Amino acid sequence: MRLIRRREPDSRPPPGELADTGHEGSQNQVDDIIICRDVHKWFGQFHALRGITTTVRRSEVVVVFGPSGSGKSTFIRTINRLDEHQRGEIIVDGITLSNDVRNIDAIRREVGMVFQSFNLFPHLTVLRNITLAPMKVRHFTGDQAEEVAMDLLHRVGIPEQASKFPGELSGGQQQRVAIARALAMQPKIMLFDEPTSALDPEMIKEVLDVMREMAGTGMTMVVVTHEMGFAREVADRLMLFDEGQIMEEGTPEQIFEAPKSERTKLFLSQIL
Amino acid sequence: MSDPQPAPASSRALPPPRTERGALGWLRLNLFGGWRSSLLTLISGAAIGAALFYGLRWIFVQADWRIVAEMGGRIAIGSYNTVDNCASQNCYWRPQVVLLGFILILGMAWGIAGKGLTKRIALVAAVVLSLLAFLPYSWEEMGIDVRLLLGANLPALGLGWLLSRYTPLRTYFRISLFAVAWFVVSMILLRGISGVPGMEPVSVYAWGGFMVNLILAVGGIALSLPIGILLALGRGSETPLVNLRVPVGKHRRLKWRLRLPIVKYLCVVFIEVFRGVPLLALLFLSQYLLPLAMPEGFFLTSTPLLRTAIVITLFSGAYMAENVRGGLQGLHPGQAEAARALGLSGVATIRMITLPQALRNVIPAIVGQFISLFKDTTLIYVIGVLEVVQIGRSFIQGNIQTWAGSEIEYFIFIAVLFWIFTYGMSRISRRVEERLGASSRARN
Repeated sequence: MRLIRRREPDSRPPPGELADTGHEGSQNQVDDIIICRDVHKWFGQFHALRGITTTVRRSEVVVVFGPSGSGKSTFIRTINRLDEHQRGEIIVDGITLSNDVRNIDAIRREVGMVFQSFNLFPHLTVLRNITLAPMKVRHFTGDQAEEVAMDLLHRVGIPEQASKFPGELSGGQQQRVAIARALAMQPKIMLFDEPTSALDPEMIKEVLDVMREMAGTGMTMVVVTHEMGFAREVADRLMLFDEGQIMEEGTPEQIFEAPKSERTKLFLSQIL
Repeated sequence: MSDPQPAPASSRALPPPRTERGALGWLRLNLFGGWRSSLLTLISGAAIGAALFYGLRWIFVQADWRIVAEMGGRIAIGSYNTVDNCASQNCYWRPQVVLLGFILILGMAWGIAGKGLTKRIALVAAVVLSLLAFLPYSWEEMGIDVRLLLGANLPALGLGWLLSRYTPLRTYFRISLFAVAWFVVSMILLRGISGVPGMEPVSVYAWGGFMVNLILAVGGIALSLPIGILLALGRGSETPLVNLRVPVGKHRRLKWRLRLPIVKYLCVVFIEVFRGVPLLALLFLSQYLLPLAMPEGFFLTSTPLLRTAIVITLFSGAYMAENVRGGLQGLHPGQAEAARALGLSGVATIRMITLPQALRNVIPAIVGQFISLFKDTTLIYVIGVLEVVQIGRSFIQGNIQTWAGSEIEYFIFIAVLFWIFTYGMSRISRRVEERLGASSRARN
């Protein structure tokens, strides 16, 4: 695996600055790649997101965790509008999310997503899974797309699986293909929706390794996961969701060593 | 039972016990596994034996198959070339060319999906038709041109096979286009064009025999699937035809949006109407009511067979839509989500991700609908066209002194004829399924 740029741990921005940028917003706009202001989302009567206000900076790795049903998946799905928020404002890379189809398509090109259940296309080969979107959306030629795809498959460590079908791969390999597929669009942001939850224990590591390497390249990542080892090591910031709100956020040190709320302590004691 | 000592571990795989092996083992396992099983074996053995004995005795000893020989070409093309219908008696080549086209399509089906049985069915059909060229009729009864056209069936089959192997006609889509073209050309060719030498018009009511069933079936099969897909997508769509955004008040954000999914409701109404009304009723309506609703001189008023073809196709398309919808609903929603998350447009997502998977999952249902459509073509007797079943009945009725009682033999012949084609279709479908399935052993 190639490490393009490894950040030093102390190059992380100080936590206090992070927590504040979301509220003030505009002066740091260049650095703030995702800005959420008072985002609400309802599923029918169910109030899934209850006023999310936060900011993600360029190259930041944010880990989102919390009990099931707390809205953490919904939160990252609103960022590329797989779920539509009904109130508030989301600005991704300078584009405000609205019903305008062109805006949505523009944002989806910049935001890659990795799902819990992989969602590879079972009727296409691994290579075709990866080359499809660059060819259709970014108008790469077949050769260009394949070059990018093979490069990415090398990076996730399974170039020999290129001509197989997803059904012939193990779960961990499938998830690595899914990561390569998202990276092939050269996104500025990567969203991960519980990428290791559907995997057998021995396959979790291979996927986390790929994600760790990706974080080293300076990719902006928002990761929903309960892999606390990964969070402690890689994340710049942790966000605990509960009942559609951000209960607590801060650096891994703050959250793990000195959690502020009782809710955080309780949840951490349950999963650690 | 509770032996604490584990059995001595054997690293070698052991052969199964003797009672499990060989013919004797098989018999014991499957037929004589106990007294109940043995009793059932004996009873069903006796029943099968009796059925075979009486069935075969009837087929080879008692039945009188001369009706089939007597009907001859009428089974294939009806009374198309009789003096009443084609005064100059030179119209015979037209249905012949139509049948050649069908054999060509059969050859393509073999070339693209056929193996084993499909190949045999295609070959038998072509060989039988070709052999008809050597029937011991006099040259007056059966001219050299007719014999040549019949003999050309075998080369046509080979040509179809070659076309589907070595030309752009090697995808299902293009062969379907070819089939639609064949349908249109056949309709025009059989109908004739007044004023053109050799193309004197022949009334639709003179068309008959298996030819009519084949034309309707091939046209319907090739067109009902795309119609069904469009209807299914329409039914599933929320795309509004009317999408009004009315600004309310000073604030531009406050907009009253009116979305009417008109496309969706049109498709729902269409599907439910066509599925809810019996085909026979639809055929009657298309025959007697529709012409009244159309402007004078509109081409559909004077083409009763085309009207029935359209009705049969739309009827089948409505069922097809529900099959396709079932396939689409069976897909994991993550498939479309992943495609959209990659930035693919809605159309691209359907065309490249969801539809191919949905269709693959419902191939059995789709082919079932094809088979059903093929059999439904016999219903067009209600408009007075003597298709293959009806032509036999009317022939026997017309010569009741000679052929009274021969209906049984004729209908069994027709049953076998239809069965061969429908079984061929289901074999092709199984083959297509295998080929697509082998390329994607999907787990999710």
